[in-house]
Amino acid sequence: MARNLAVKAARAQKDMTQKDLASAVGVSRQTINAIEQGEYNPTIKLCRAICRALGKTLDELFWEDDNNEKE
Amino acid sequence: MKKSNLDEMQEQALLRIEHTGCWLAFWGLLAAMAIQGILGAGIRELAGEWIVFMGLCLYLLVSCLRCGIWDRTLKANRKTNLIVSLIAGAAVGVFDAVLFLRYDMQWPDLALIAVIPAVITFVLCFAALTVSAAIYKKRREKLDRE
Repeated sequence: MARNLAVKAARAQKDMTQKDLASAVGVSRQTINAIEQGEYNPTIKLCRAICRALGKTLDELFWEDDNNEKE
Repeated sequence: MKKSNLDEMQEQALLRIEHTGCWLAFWGLLAAMAIQGILGAGIRELAGEWIVFMGLCLYLLVSCLRCGIWDRTLKANRKTNLIVSLIAGAAVGVFDAVLFLRYDMQWPDLALIAVIPAVITFVLCFAALTVSAAIYKKRREKLDRE
């Protein structure tokens, strides 16, 4: 699975650490790290929580076009 | 429902650990019973393991059938059931042959004593799989309609 750089960039824009984001959405730092590394595919519920915490839409953080489809 | 201390990724990791633990217990109990049987343990000595093993099997079977789940790779059809039953029968035949080698039993008595339980196992296994597959298909249809 490809890395999710959009989440990492949005988090950096907000000047949040992985731990800050993890606390904001109620998961462990390891889970946020796994999402950013593309090692874990989060549920839609967690995706929405991350979007709310980072002030982004689902499309901005989790949508991939056909040329960049994650396996 | 009790609030979980785990997030969704940890929950999935725990489920994988429990899954592995469940199958370790399953094959471990089966191996323990087989080894004890070969070493000469009687029904009384094997009763505890057998009850736990059958309880585990029954739980897995009933739970899967209720959810309309058969298997990840195997299909619920006659051909697969036949092959699985043949494997089970052959395994019991080999096990019995090994078991009775201890008594210096010679051919063809040994073959007979191995073949009879093997055939019985094959028939019972095939019947159990056929009934379970029929229940599974009925349940699957019901769940698909809902």
